[in-house]
Amino acid sequence: MQKTRFSAVLATFILCMVVWILITWSFSVQELVAGVLVSLATALFSSRFFAHGDSWRFFNPAKIFSLIGYSFTFFKELVKANVDMAKRVYGGCKAVNPGIVRVPTEMKSDYGLALLSDSITLTPGTITMDVAEEDGKNCLYVHWIDVTAESGEAAGEAIKGELEKGTRRVFD
Amino acid sequence: MIAIRLLIDVLIVVGAYFALAGTLGILKMPDVLCRMQASTCIPTLGVLCVAIGGILYAACFLHSADNAIKIAVIGLMILFTNPIGSHVLAKGAYKADRKGKNSLKLNPDDYGRDINE
Repeated sequence: MQKTRFSAVLATFILCMVVWILITWSFSVQELVAGVLVSLATALFSSRFFAHGDSWRFFNPAKIFSLIGYSFTFFKELVKANVDMAKRVYGGCKAVNPGIVRVPTEMKSDYGLALLSDSITLTPGTITMDVAEEDGKNCLYVHWIDVTAESGEAAGEAIKGELEKGTRRVFD
Repeated sequence: MIAIRLLIDVLIVVGAYFALAGTLGILKMPDVLCRMQASTCIPTLGVLCVAIGGILYAACFLHSADNAIKIAVIGLMILFTNPIGSHVLAKGAYKADRKGKNSLKLNPDDYGRDINE
């Protein structure tokens, strides 16, 4: 387990405080003091799980802009997959052909893997079940509702082609 | 103003359409994992469209910035927390299935079913 570092606690504290202010949206002294106490306690307990490596990378403007750009790519994929799933449910003619595929990925960092597998899970039709490291490469085990590709690489291109490009721009 | 009102209504109806697709999918699909796949429609486009409609309504008709921001935060929270829950549920369903009855209808010639214990 990682040690608790001051910079990690500070970064987590700032993030918690911003969320607190956004949720309460009141600037009276009582609310702010309560927010500081709650955020400080949360940051002390959870910063060692939350911030690995450079703690200030969350506040790097270039990263934030590439994250916003990634959200557009993600939204496009999301709409495509949702329409496909709606056709599958309402139409009934398309057969379901489920299976679990092993997809190799180039991502290295923990954050990148988490963002990529969360994006895959949020897309209807694919759920990431496990992340495993096999012979120096990270592999995702993905449950896919319509297995059409022949190999893991082809399946990876169909499942996460656009998503991985966008994720690598954000975390790499 | 009437155009924004129409846009809000269309967004909420589209969100309800995809939420209904997810709910019907839960009833129609053959096994646990496929049901979870269909139900992912609900927190993604279902919630997102309704949330965007709500943000527009709060911003343009109620004129309250705080309500709009609260709806945005709710939508983001659902987007961030939902995949973690479904990931753990899927893994648990797979492991419970391996122990006994073979209720998952998986394709027999898929690759990589040996998820690490």
